This record gives sequence, C-alpha cells and structure tokens, in this order.
Amino acid sequence: MQKVVSISLNGNSYQLEEPGFNLLSSYLERADSRLKDSPDRAEVMADLEQAIGEKCRGMLGPHKTVVSVAEVERIIAEMGPVESADEKTASDAAAAAGAAGAEGTSSTGPTAGPTPRKRLFQIREGAMWSGVCNGIAAYINVDVTWVRIAFVLLTIFSSGLWLVAYVVLMFVVPVAQTAEDRAAAFGMPFNTEELISRAKKNFEEFGQTYRWRREWRRQQRHWNRQFRHMNEQLRATASQVVPPMNHGTGTFMSVFLPLAAVVGAIVFVAWILAMFSLVTQHTIFGWDLPHGIPIWVGVVALVLIYLGVSAPLKALRHGGQQPAHHVGFSALYGLIWIGCTALLFWAAYHYFPGVRELVDNLVWAANLTATTISETIA
Amino acid sequence: MNISEKLAPIRKGLLEFVILKIVAGDKVYVADMLKLLGPTEFATQEGTLYPLLSKLRREELVDYEWQESEAGPPRKYYKLTQKGRTQLSTLNDYWKDLNRTLADFGN
Repeated sequence: MQKVVSISLNGNSYQLEEPGFNLLSSYLERADSRLKDSPDRAEVMADLEQAIGEKCRGMLGPHKTVVSVAEVERIIAEMGPVESADEKTASDAAAAAGAAGAEGTSSTGPTAGPTPRKRLFQIREGAMWSGVCNGIAAYINVDVTWVRIAFVLLTIFSSGLWLVAYVVLMFVVPVAQTAEDRAAAFGMPFNTEELISRAKKNFEEFGQTYRWRREWRRQQRHWNRQFRHMNEQLRATASQVVPPMNHGTGTFMSVFLPLAAVVGAIVFVAWILAMFSLVTQHTIFGWDLPHGIPIWVGVVALVLIYLGVSAPLKALRHGGQQPAHHVGFSALYGLIWIGCTALLFWAAYHYFPGVRELVDNLVWAANLTATTISETIA
Repeated sequence: MNISEKLAPIRKGLLEFVILKIVAGDKVYVADMLKLLGPTEFATQEGTLYPLLSKLRREELVDYEWQESEAGPPRKYYKLTQKGRTQLSTLNDYWKDLNRTLADFGN
C-alpha cells in the first residue's frame, strides 16, 4: 500500500505515490534553482510542468488513476536535467549527459553531474537563532552542540566581543534556501534518495527534541500540582489555627512569594558568579572540580543544577496561587527578583574585584560593539 | 574521453541552429521536435529544450501560438519570426563557408 499525494501541474491535478511526489518536487525545485538567474524562469517552469503533466497523463488510463514511483522516475529521466540556455560554460557536460540519457544509456534518473563543492551556509532548519552554528557544524562535519558550546565559551572569553563576529556572520553567510543549497552545505552529492533519507532523519530528531521538551513541561506541571497541593494543605492548616480569611491565599502568598523571589534572585546571582568563576579560574568559589573532569562538564552540571533549583521557584511563581491572583503575584515576584538581583550584583561589583573586572569588560565590549556598528552604518 | 563526448560542445553549439531549421518548416510542438531530434546526433530532452526555446523567443527569433489539443490543455506551437528567418539564412551561409573551409584544408 502506498500513500498518494494529489498535485497540480500547470492547472491540472494528478495523483502520485508519495515517494514519487518527493522525487518530482525535488526535481522541480532543482530546475527552479538552476533557472533562478534566467529571465524566462516562470515560463520555463510552466512549460516543464505542462510537459510532466502530459507525460503523467500518458501513464494513466480509465483503470489506472495513480502515477507510480517507477513511472515518476522514468518521467524525470526523460525530461533530463534542466539547463539554463544562457549559461554557456557549465552546460556542455550536461548536454553530453542529456544526449546519453536520450540514447537510453542512462537509467539512474535524477542524478547530478559533479559533486557540489562544500559551501558555508546558514541552515535555518533546527537553528537556535539564525543557523550560523548549524551551517558551521555541517561545514566542518561535527555535531552542532559542540559548535554552540564553542560559540558560548568564545563569547564569555572575549567578554561578549564574539557576539559581534556572530552578527557579522549572520549578515555575510548566505542562507541555504533550496534543497540544492542545503546539499552543498553538507557537501553531499545532490541525490534525491539521500535528501529524502536525510529529511526522515531530521524529522525523527525533531520528534525526539519535542518529546524531551514535552517531558520537561510535564515535570514542571507536576511540580506546579505539588505546590498547589502543598499550598492548599498549608492554607487548610492555617485556617484551623487562624480564623478564616477572605484572602487566605493572598496572605500566604504575600508573605511567601517575596521570600521565594529573594531566594530566586540569590540562586540566580550565585549561579552566574559560579559560572564565571568556573570558566575564568577553573574553580567554583575556590572549590576545584574533581580531577579529570573537564570544564564543560562543570558548566553543564551548573546549568542542570540551576534548572533544578529554579524550576520549583518558577512553578511557585506561575502556578502556586489562584488564577485570579496570577498576574499580580507574578509581577510582584518579578519586581522583587529584579530588585534583589540588581542589589546583589551591585554588592558583588563593589566587594569582589573579579566581578568588577567582568562587568567592566562587558561594558567595554558593548561600547566597542556600538561604535563598530555606528561606524559601519556611517 | 570518447569521441562522442569530445564532440558534445559542437552539438550543443549547433542545437540552436538545428532548432531554427526545424521551426522554419511547419509550426511544431515541443514533443514533435523531440521526436524529430531523438534518432539524430542532436537527441535532446525537455530540460534543455524549453529553456533554449524561451531564450530564442526572448531574442525574437521564434514565436509561439496556443492551439487546442484533443487530449489535455492547449499546447504551444512554435514558428519562426522574420528576424529568425534572417538569422537562419545567415547561419546557413556561415555553415556552407565553414564546410568549404574545412574541405579546403589538407588539400
């Protein structure tokens, strides 16, 4: 059994088996990118679609309504690679290939001629930000996580200066727009089957990240529920001791929430300082990492610890109270948190020379960035 | 590199000339052109022919008109323009000269 895709070619509808549809759409996409500099692009694309449509019609009959994969392959082989008539230089090899194809010697279908040169692209699919790291990872053939860690570390070591480099790359490196660009970004020979298998792999990976996030959200919801439960129990105990109040939750929250905000701010500032101390001095406030454990493990561990500690506080802020009070308490928490964080940073800046150095460096880097940008614009 | 591959650029260069010659006769449809070219040294595919025809049309050497077909949507039938006819006779003359020159060498 095959899944069938309905397509429209130049105003007529056809049904193709799904893999055949994939083959055909990548053939047309490739044709379109070949013709992107030709003034006749739209017209030629319409001509090609009509020709393919006619070939499809030739494959169909009153008792056959779907074009099979093999038939699509044959159609693509008959059509031959699309060559812009305006570029004289690159077309010679393709002409030979086209002639060979028409003589029936080539049965490989939509294969490209030479292997495309590997090029640096921004790859938007699965990108955190702009796809620069993604593109570099593809270019040097390593996992994107390493490139991202390298970028973060470079940013920290260069006191933020590396961000300027990232922004420059964002504007300079072209974005991979067509399937062919993406193939060139990965340095793979352009081949439809490979593209399809890659797409499948990406889809599965996407599913996994999605599952991971869903799991994390589920965990947070679980904490939320626990807090609500705890809250209710506390209220119940409180109402036994204290005469019942209209704003029982409110009273509880107005005492507990500022406290939580202060704790949250302390945790946050401590985490930032610990991170800084780890990266610059390779110790966490004078405590050395166990022997043989690299820095990045420490960084990852700190991130995980922070997430673990701050998640219940966050859950409290967002779910620990009645929905009616939600916005007000959340804002209160945020205000107290920002205030405490600022206060703590201020204190750290004044009493710890290391922190002062960091902040001064950051300010310097920000100034430099601003001047660079304004000079570039001017 | 076999001899056919070596001559591929020549065929490619002559394709435009061949197309003009074909179109010079009756109005033709692309599938018919491909059928005509198929058994010859100039065997071509849609992927090459459509872009070439569009280019020729942009240069006002050929033009097309839509004609209803009994099966399916209307089709483009190509014909030579006046400018194309002039260019074709120039190319014909040039080709004759070229043949003469080639024949004269080595004698």
